Amino acid sequence: MADAAVLTAFLEASVRLGVPLALAALGETLSERSGVINIGLEGSIIAGALGGALGALATGSAGVGVVAGAAAGLAVALVFALFVVLLNTDQIITGTAVTLAGLGFTAVVYQSRFGTTGTALTLPTLDPWPVPLLADLPGVGTALFAQAPTTYLAYLLAPLLWWLLFRTEWGLEIRAAGEDPDAAAAAGVRVRTLRVVTCLAAGALAGVAGAHLALAHTGTFSEGMSAGKGFIAIAVVVLGRWNPLLVLMAALFFGAASALQFALQTLGFDVGYQLFLAFPYVLTLLALAGWVGRARAPAALALPWPRDGA
Amino acid sequence: MFGRLNGRRRGWAAAVVMALAACGGDADPGAGDGSPDPEAGAALRVALLTSGPVSDAGWYAGAYEGLLLIGDSLGAEVSHQQTRTPTEFDEAFLAYGAEGYDLVFAHGFEYQDAAMRAGPRFPDMTIVVSGGGRVGDNVAPLIFTLEEASYLAGMAAGGVTRSGVVGMVGGVEIPPVQGTFRAFEAGVRAVRPDATILEAFIGNWDDVAAAKEAAVAQIGRGADVLIHNTDAASFGVFQAAREATEGGAETWVLGMNRDQNDIAPDVTLGSAVIRIPEAFLEVARRLLAGDLGGAPVYEGTSEDVVDFVANPATEARYPDGLLQRIRAAGDSIRAGTLEVPRVPFVDGETG
Repeated sequence: MADAAVLTAFLEASVRLGVPLALAALGETLSERSGVINIGLEGSIIAGALGGALGALATGSAGVGVVAGAAAGLAVALVFALFVVLLNTDQIITGTAVTLAGLGFTAVVYQSRFGTTGTALTLPTLDPWPVPLLADLPGVGTALFAQAPTTYLAYLLAPLLWWLLFRTEWGLEIRAAGEDPDAAAAAGVRVRTLRVVTCLAAGALAGVAGAHLALAHTGTFSEGMSAGKGFIAIAVVVLGRWNPLLVLMAALFFGAASALQFALQTLGFDVGYQLFLAFPYVLTLLALAGWVGRARAPAALALPWPRDGA
Repeated sequence: MFGRLNGRRRGWAAAVVMALAACGGDADPGAGDGSPDPEAGAALRVALLTSGPVSDAGWYAGAYEGLLLIGDSLGAEVSHQQTRTPTEFDEAFLAYGAEGYDLVFAHGFEYQDAAMRAGPRFPDMTIVVSGGGRVGDNVAPLIFTLEEASYLAGMAAGGVTRSGVVGMVGGVEIPPVQGTFRAFEAGVRAVRPDATILEAFIGNWDDVAAAKEAAVAQIGRGADVLIHNTDAASFGVFQAAREATEGGAETWVLGMNRDQNDIAPDVTLGSAVIRIPEAFLEVARRLLAGDLGGAPVYEGTSEDVVDFVANPATEARYPDGLLQRIRAAGDSIRAGTLEVPRVPFVDGETG
């Protein structure tokens, strides 16, 4: 087989594996910028996958499935936001609880609907939409531009969120809420409302990421198919230094790392494939340590607000 | 793998459902007379531990069916728990031991160390570790010699492949999985000596997307028959074959662990099957007969627990005479005249 074909297959796999991470991580960027770290992302992703599957099965339309997935992810995030923002509970503990509840709840729904011992669902799938001209680019054309529409959502969201965060007043308020909520509130920013909104947006995007997994990537649902992607997305946000444009690239980089292990194994390289999976995490650690660029989390990230718990 | 952050505890909710299901029907608590009476069986309490969801239509699903079968056939009280991490393994054994369970099926290689720790603490409880490697007074590995069926599946793959390239997608590289893959390779080569055999592991058992990408990578290298040894992740392998076939590159899959011929009937050649429910029932009967513990229990083609089941819907795709050859090889394995490769992992086993 020609090397070019191997490379194209690898790039395609990188994009397929990177896009769900990108969608979830872009939403998480928004909520972390406002000061909320949502460890419950994983719960939103698996809810989005099941919501997407059920929505698509009920209507026969994968597009409706994506909307249902977003709604399911948002519903999970709503629970998280209520506790964290309004009741001022610990963000890490609440997020963990939301993830566990999401995984458990989807398991119960799936098993009650499709039988305890499971069935391989065949879902309506989101077909690739090749972008005219761009899809014909040599090398990267099909990998980047002959993908499911949810992929283009990720491409478009990255610059859009960047613009929103760094070029609009609303973005300034979000960042102020994440850096110094007291000062922001004194300046008239409605910190709690903003944080609820960013959490819900993050949940909806994680739901789309889950729906993408079920409807665009695998065409099926199984329990636990989120397989830790919510947590990887949180690492992606760090590697992307809370900048949506870099976050998109970091997500594709993580996707490439996991695509690389399959490519190498298939080519018969007898190397520890776990090393390649660990590589992006090593970079993330280096980024946090300040050796690869400068990563600084929003100053008020994960802190309850107001501090007196009022 | 088990230490990963994914779904450490999603089992709790599933366990509630299982418990409800188990309590709902025929569990007969009315034994009344206090002392356990193995003959009547009413006091028999049997538990199942899995480290993945029983909705995988495969390895864990079969175990869960086995648990229910024991409940139905022997009137036993049954319970299931999903546990993810080694700490949870220990806790689960502790809980069942403290509650006086008679028999615990720990359905996977990963439980063996926790089982060896729990065994001496609860001498009245017998622990059966599916695919386990260590033996104690009341700890017995239950070894399904799936290699035998895997070899036959390899023959099917070797006969059907046109490109001469076949692929194997595994979960985690543990000895029982390595064993099935070595046997599969031998089966392929018995029919197609010049075959190229690809192998990939995804590092866990239920990441569907990862399994699909591994399969897509193999199909990209020319593989036109794939076998898997994963759990719920297998859906990704079936999906990859289905999409490749729809795209004009005819690709076949072989199921594993349970009869998976109906998952994607159009592209499935057959399955290397373990009749786990029947094996579990047999083990429970041996417990009642006082004939369990201290030695591994082997269940294979001779016991009719392991078998290769061709998919009736695609039998026409087998070249002439191949099915007969596979059947003959199965008979030879049963008769002991054909030795199938095995990766030994049980204490004192030489392979």
